[in-house]
Amino acid sequence: MSENNFNIELQQLSVGYEQPGGNPLEILKAINFSATPGEMVALIGSNGIGKSTLLRTLAGFQPWFSGNIQISGRNLKNISSKEVARIMSFVSTENVRVPNLSVFDLVAYGRFPYTNWIGMLSEQDKSVVDEAIKNVGLRGFENRPVMQISDGERQRAMIARALAQDTPVIILDEPTAYLDVSNKYEIFHLLQVLANEKKKTIILSTHDLNIALREVDKLWIATDSGNYQGAPEDAVLQGWLNQLFKNDHVGFDANEGEFFFKKEFKAKVKVEGEGLPLTWTLRALNRKGYQIVMQAEHDYRVVANENSWELNSKSNQKTFGSVYQLLTFLEKHC
Amino acid sequence: MKESVPHKKLPVPLIFSLLGILFVLLFVADILLGSIIIPVKEVFHSLFSTSETNETYRTIILSFRLPKALTAIMTGAALSLSGLQMQTVFRNPLAGPYVLGISAGASLGVALFVLGFSSVLAAGVFTTGAWPLALVAWAGSFLVMLLVLFVSMKVNDIMTILILGILFTSAVSAIVSILQYFSNESMLKAFIVWTMGSLGNVTKAQLSVLAPAILAGILLAFLKIKDLNAFLLGENYARSLGVSIKSSRIIIFLSTSLLAGTITAFCGPIGFIGIAVPHICRVIFKTANHLILVPAVILTGSIVMLFSDIVSQLPGMQTTLPINSVTALIGIPVIIWMIVKNKKFVSVS
Repeated sequence: MSENNFNIELQQLSVGYEQPGGNPLEILKAINFSATPGEMVALIGSNGIGKSTLLRTLAGFQPWFSGNIQISGRNLKNISSKEVARIMSFVSTENVRVPNLSVFDLVAYGRFPYTNWIGMLSEQDKSVVDEAIKNVGLRGFENRPVMQISDGERQRAMIARALAQDTPVIILDEPTAYLDVSNKYEIFHLLQVLANEKKKTIILSTHDLNIALREVDKLWIATDSGNYQGAPEDAVLQGWLNQLFKNDHVGFDANEGEFFFKKEFKAKVKVEGEGLPLTWTLRALNRKGYQIVMQAEHDYRVVANENSWELNSKSNQKTFGSVYQLLTFLEKHC
Repeated sequence: MKESVPHKKLPVPLIFSLLGILFVLLFVADILLGSIIIPVKEVFHSLFSTSETNETYRTIILSFRLPKALTAIMTGAALSLSGLQMQTVFRNPLAGPYVLGISAGASLGVALFVLGFSSVLAAGVFTTGAWPLALVAWAGSFLVMLLVLFVSMKVNDIMTILILGILFTSAVSAIVSILQYFSNESMLKAFIVWTMGSLGNVTKAQLSVLAPAILAGILLAFLKIKDLNAFLLGENYARSLGVSIKSSRIIIFLSTSLLAGTITAFCGPIGFIGIAVPHICRVIFKTANHLILVPAVILTGSIVMLFSDIVSQLPGMQTTLPINSVTALIGIPVIIWMIVKNKKFVSVS
């Protein structure tokens, strides 16, 4: 399979679903996205914009309204579901809870398109399953029931299942939802490695924008005012991340590469210091809604040292032993 | 990370062998025990030699006990297998042919026939044997099956089909109640007796229809073992693994209706086996793999039904209990025990 180039092209695609009553509801229109082997693509957009619908359409689960989905030059409509199963594997947000199902058996589902009519695993199938389990770092978990492993481990098992399916394209709907931060990073890293080393096309949707910006090769951005695809950095430079949310209170700080919540400023604070104490004092004041000023007139001046924080105002001067104490005092007197 | 215990499993062939032995023992016991208790020696004489046989025993065994035991085996196997398939496809541990309304369809057919026609016709129902009764029940369940198939082709949502099945069941029982209200006493009794279920009314001639129908249903289920496994992960995953959802579902429904519809037609609505037996098998075999579960429910279902039949005969006594009551009394405690023991009972998937 890998000798083929499984380029994916979405051309003027319009997706949506049939509403009860038969009225079609178009959610995303005029989409022109593409992905090539070895690329990890993150589809981002606000809740309800239609990310899942787009991925489900791409996976061949539902028909689309107009436009085209081309997979290495062939229209997805003309590819049988059995053949699609050898081209694309899918990991959904659905939590798989099957009693008495072991991790090995779950991953072995990936061999489904290759096994005989009764689903018997050959020795080769078994070694592919073992390899997939090893790749996601679940060795030793083979006989654990999937109902009794953590969310992060189950997500890895689901990815291993997709790996065992041995498809050039893997589509994942929010693979890092419900995971803790370290698991989010590990899953992203794992997928990045799979894209790079195994030259798979990995397409995922996510709300973990900060991680996605650092890890993915390409962003597919869906907004109300249009769609964009390109390197995360291009997207930042062209201002697409600011348009991601309709909300006026959330913005994207292009310098920091992070999203922030726009707040009303309580007071102007000038901060002096250096290194980590300075960085984290700035963050703390920012979080609490103080405007950081450089030279202009200020209400307070804070000097951040290694283990003490000095607060100067017009009337008095005070020293604190932690950021927490500093903030508590400011909150009371502001 | 939660500590979890790896599966502790008995080897599958060992469990199957033990169940096989239990099956043979109960099969023999079912033939021996009844209002007249037959000595073991006579059973073998009747079955394997023509000479030196007590004619009475021979008649009892060949004309009554053997067909009844075979019917019990097929009933248990068929209802359990249809229950397993429904639970997997609907991903609902309480699904079964009853929830889909297939049994209700059969009941409607019988009710219309027994209660709806004039007393002249109804009187003839039981003199001509159970055949006409069986046929109308069959027609009723088949009609519901077609309805379910039709809806499942239009509607992709499995829960909608499940809810429609429940609504259909309610509508049918409403119609049956009305029919009962307007019918006379003898017709009412005939119908009530049918609803209690019976394994003993199946004649050898009927067995020749019952057996191929059940075998066909079992064969279809075996053909869909792989797809049944895929359905456990849900429809999205099944589809992404290359399963053709609609055609697969139609074949599974066909198997279910054939199994449950045929049994309901010939033996009356027999409840709780279809729900309880798949759960018993999941506990015994500790597996989700239908390659094991399908033969397991066939064997276990037969065992449970043979046992129910032995109990219902009240060995040594002249009366028998309705088989439906016996299966309810055996099946319901199992279901309650499952719910209490395993709080995750609410989902098989």
